[in-house]
Amino acid sequence: MEEYKPRVIIVDDEKGLRVGTQRLLQSENYIVDTAENGTEGIRMATGREYDLAILDLKMPDVDGITVMKEILAVFPNTVCFIATAYASFETAIEATKLGAFTYIPKPYTPDELLRNLRAGMEKRMLVLEAESLKREREERMLELAFEKTRLNLIINSIADGVFVINRNGELVLFNPAIAKYFELNNIFIGEKILGILPEKVTEQLNIILNKPEYENKSYTAEVEMKPDREFMIEVKCSPVRHPDGTVAGVVTVVRNITEMKKVEFLKSQFVSMVAHELKTPMAAVIGFLNIILNPELKTTPEKQADYMNRSRGRLQGLLEMVNDLLDISRMEMKTKQRELKELSIDDIVKGTVEFLELEIKKRGIEVESEYQENIPGIMADNNELTRLYTNIIGNAVKYNKDNGKIRISVRTQGNYIVTKISDTGIGMKPEDKAKLFSEFFRIKNDYTRNISGTGLGLSIVKRIAESYSGKVEVESEYTKGSAFTVYLPYTAG
Amino acid sequence: MTNIQNKPKKILLVDDDIDLLEQNKVLLESKGYAVVTAENVKDALDIFKKEKPDAAVLDLIMEEHDSGFVLAHKIKRDSYGKTIPVVLLTSATYITGMKFGVSTKEEQEWINCDAWFNKPINIDELSGKLEEFFDKQGI
Repeated sequence: MEEYKPRVIIVDDEKGLRVGTQRLLQSENYIVDTAENGTEGIRMATGREYDLAILDLKMPDVDGITVMKEILAVFPNTVCFIATAYASFETAIEATKLGAFTYIPKPYTPDELLRNLRAGMEKRMLVLEAESLKREREERMLELAFEKTRLNLIINSIADGVFVINRNGELVLFNPAIAKYFELNNIFIGEKILGILPEKVTEQLNIILNKPEYENKSYTAEVEMKPDREFMIEVKCSPVRHPDGTVAGVVTVVRNITEMKKVEFLKSQFVSMVAHELKTPMAAVIGFLNIILNPELKTTPEKQADYMNRSRGRLQGLLEMVNDLLDISRMEMKTKQRELKELSIDDIVKGTVEFLELEIKKRGIEVESEYQENIPGIMADNNELTRLYTNIIGNAVKYNKDNGKIRISVRTQGNYIVTKISDTGIGMKPEDKAKLFSEFFRIKNDYTRNISGTGLGLSIVKRIAESYSGKVEVESEYTKGSAFTVYLPYTAG
Repeated sequence: MTNIQNKPKKILLVDDDIDLLEQNKVLLESKGYAVVTAENVKDALDIFKKEKPDAAVLDLIMEEHDSGFVLAHKIKRDSYGKTIPVVLLTSATYITGMKFGVSTKEEQEWINCDAWFNKPINIDELSGKLEEFFDKQGI
């Protein structure tokens, strides 16, 4: 490290002394400026900061004491020396009173001068160090204050509720969300809050407060704030510890879990529904087997064959349902890898009609199709779109009357490719139409009693269409027929 | 348990699942009952009025989820219906998403059915229960 060179200004009207001192100090590694009168001295020493200033007391224009005052007003840490040939005790006292480090009697010896300057420099370094420490501390305080405001701002902005209580159960910190979640108005810092919180929350807090030994564990509870799952919260309480490990208080985070709970409920409802739908056909098969295998019932071979055929039909239906469920689950979990290709809706619809040809002929159904020219291609997964159209056109066949009609049209409308499939089938009542896309919903009436189905087909159709940002619309008249319209955006994919 | 009296007791059996309907019909007939069947609430009420059965065995969940309840309720409100035993068949797995169950006393009182069985039924238990009612009625 290069040695620091103190910067000195000499203000003296006596040229010999000025130049002599300058040379002496330069040889001692000082940076030295000089001024030949008080006015010049003030200008220079207030224009930039000097470490040291040697000021002649008696000058024709401005005296040394005045120069010193001016300098100290701007740079209070410049160490000033008053040099005087008329040294007296009074002058010395006067000079030091007014801020001089000391006075130097003229004429001075080099040693005398250098000793004084070194002492002055030492003082200046101490002062500067103290100043810098003070500044640093001030900066840190400011940072801390800023940090605290910032932290408060952050905590207040969290959607989750946060509050902290001390060992006495008094509120130490809380954010506005807490007041909202617990429907508490006018809570304040220092308030004993244990009594006014829901019992379940207080229980968790007390567990931690009453456990003085070290245990790094959070306690969680779910609280129903409004009945019927209208508003549910989760509270998670964690101990706040002193450095020695003893409990200082509890920090609690409160989260709105209403939506999550609703989804959870729907899920378990769905599971229960699936279980029921799987159980029914199995129960039917077991029922038939029990009858066939029961010697006391003496069922005829014809009856046995009938029961076995019907059992096979139920198991077939069960298999279809499991396949549908697997499809739905793959769609939900998005594990199914889509193979996006440019597809022609015409081709898919024509292929589907061909696939159903046998059944169509068997029922004597007539299919009329109308394809607009130059239908744009669509980026989609072939299996998914085939599934979509098979389910809809399959329904148009299944729920049609014998010798009925199916009309299919494919055209563009805005950014959509619109496929409309109308049948002359059994139609549906408005109340059934509303539930049509729900899982396992099947219309049950005299017409449908002999038609098998999983109740999942249209729910799958809806999911596929929506996954391509499309939609499905239904029009229907009971006993007259239904029309399904599929909208798929051709910019999709 | 074979019916010892000459005229077999007539049971109204209602289920919208035609396979389960047939199975329970076969089983009840094997116990010596005469069985009349219906697949929906409307037919069931017609047959009930026409046939005046000695007991009704109803599936809980039909076209609409509460059809079995409604039917049981209607039969029990009828001046003849309230004199005969009404038995409900339930599927124990199907609990959620329904307005009613038969698990609480209030629900049982409201429905006013005489017994309920989980499906698939054990025919000996069902006919045993029916015979208990018939014995109590002294017919």
